[in-house]
Amino acid sequence: MKPRRSTVCLGAFTSLWFFIIALGSAVPGQAVDSGPFAFNPEVQLGRRSNNPSTPFLRLAPDGRLFAVWTEDDKRPMAMTKQEIAAPPHESHMKMTASPMRVALLAWSKDGGKTWTSPKQVNSAVEAIEGEEGGPRLAFGKNNRAYVVWSVPNEKGDKTRANIRFAMEDGKGGFTPAKTLNELKNTARFPIIETMADDSLLVGWIDRRVDNPIPRSLYLKRLSAKGEQLTSSYKIGGGLCECCRLGIAFADGGKTVYVADRQVSEQQIRNHALRKSTDGGQTFGEPVEISDDGWQVAACPHSGPTIGIDGRGYLHVTWFTLGRSEKEAGIYYSVSKDGGRHFAPRQLVQANTAPEILHTTLAVAADGTVYLAWENLDDQNKSQIFMRSLAPDGETWRSIQQVSRTAGNASRPMLALSQKLLHVAWTETEGETSWISTRTAPVVK
Amino acid sequence: MDFDENRTGRQMKGGRSQRARYLFVASAVASTLWLIAGPYGPAVTWAQHEHTTSITAPAIGAQAVDFELKLLDGKSVSLQQWRGKPVVINFFASWCDPCRDEMPLINEVAAGADKGGYRVIGIAVEDTRAAVTQFSKEAKLTFPVGLDLNSTIKRAYRIFGPPATFFIDAQGTVRDIVLGPMTPERAREALKKAGAA
Repeated sequence: MKPRRSTVCLGAFTSLWFFIIALGSAVPGQAVDSGPFAFNPEVQLGRRSNNPSTPFLRLAPDGRLFAVWTEDDKRPMAMTKQEIAAPPHESHMKMTASPMRVALLAWSKDGGKTWTSPKQVNSAVEAIEGEEGGPRLAFGKNNRAYVVWSVPNEKGDKTRANIRFAMEDGKGGFTPAKTLNELKNTARFPIIETMADDSLLVGWIDRRVDNPIPRSLYLKRLSAKGEQLTSSYKIGGGLCECCRLGIAFADGGKTVYVADRQVSEQQIRNHALRKSTDGGQTFGEPVEISDDGWQVAACPHSGPTIGIDGRGYLHVTWFTLGRSEKEAGIYYSVSKDGGRHFAPRQLVQANTAPEILHTTLAVAADGTVYLAWENLDDQNKSQIFMRSLAPDGETWRSIQQVSRTAGNASRPMLALSQKLLHVAWTETEGETSWISTRTAPVVK
Repeated sequence: MDFDENRTGRQMKGGRSQRARYLFVASAVASTLWLIAGPYGPAVTWAQHEHTTSITAPAIGAQAVDFELKLLDGKSVSLQQWRGKPVVINFFASWCDPCRDEMPLINEVAAGADKGGYRVIGIAVEDTRAAVTQFSKEAKLTFPVGLDLNSTIKRAYRIFGPPATFFIDAQGTVRDIVLGPMTPERAREALKKAGAA
């Protein structure tokens, strides 16, 4: 007797399920894309032959997704008479060893599927810093892009650098860059945000006082036209000299939060939050985000990221080794009282191997937190991972690997619209680098 | 017969129904398992994500991990080829403030290498050839420097941030490790431990 069609269908359906499950567990690298985010295929930014790296993502008020990043600048460098007189092969060697990098800006109108041809931000030939201190981007209400970056001093010393600034000129290009730090060779790790009145708040880590070593946090106000509204002014000290800053605004910029990695005399590297309620003019005493107790005399080169939701909750993520290497990993905390207190830290993901990791987050208005970071996979390759935290602050979704590099993927950046989540990161293999981006529908 | 057929038919029908129920339950279980472990899994709570790894610093007294390093001048060196002499390995980066501060001391250590019968090598981590080349010139480095291009050496030596310096004796055993910038006194002490003083 023949079985009924419904039974056959049900059997086939069940077999298909088991086949999919078996296939999923059999395919190497199955962890990639296994998770709650339905990411589209990778889209690469920049010209591969120019080693693009260090992307930063941001949405403009009109909804376009922007990216700024750096690439090798192959324009001729200014040469000395001695260098000009050198044999051709030596001149060539000088060119190939050029550390010069250009900042490029592009945008996408279709949610990251396609990107415009990049526009060059800086006109001068200069060695724009990447890695932890890459360019940052903000927008005016009229969608004008403002970019800040840092360049080493004349000797190429990245630790004695200068903050540069340029803005879209309304003619399809950028204004000539200008240096924002008044004291030469004293500033690194710039941040920039737009205030409610369209003026700009720029910040950086400052070393105008070389000793004692802990650095200072300086801010400066610029008008929407890029004119100086204030000189740079100090809002705090005790900063680690090599970790980027986190910044977030509430009340349209009336409330300003800045987070940094501190360094104590004992070389303890905890994070602190500073809050201003007068648009960044004055700041209260720093509040410790978490007493991690990571004692390290070396360069962590990994700073915090902060974000605010529609309830005014302040979310922060960071990397620490803690008091022992067994604590090493990506952590998260939240403040529900405007930065006065922080909840005990939560581990997002532990280090899978010895490595300093980099993390970032994006926060939805409803309080959903999206985190992206790097960690090592089972092949000892650095990959990008993501997960989200529900607005209840307790319900974590599963961790998802979003990169599949054969080299190393690092320093993810996020941008979040109401419907889409964008992530970009740098991949390196040998002496080459490139930028990958992916987009997924927002998961609640 | 008819009855039997009917009964059989009913039994058959009942059997199909039972099988269908079984298959339905099986697919439901499979679906549930898939949902728990699979790509669209339900929320995972914090308690389910505790540390599963143990990271330990490289031990003094352990055999140093061998590596092959391509130097800035294009030559390659391996730790193994220097066996028979103490080796000082300095991990640094051009973007690292304390590394820059420490470099004059590393240069001094390197200056005593011939007399002390040891080798010094610099390994740049998370860096580019251009930046390291420029830094080498600026800091007037007198010892061979290479790029740890894929971070393999850094990971093998468990470097959580430069600078870090390893002192290895002539037999390839790690005799001292300085994480962070060194003082001249600390360098002398470590060289002595490695039999390089």
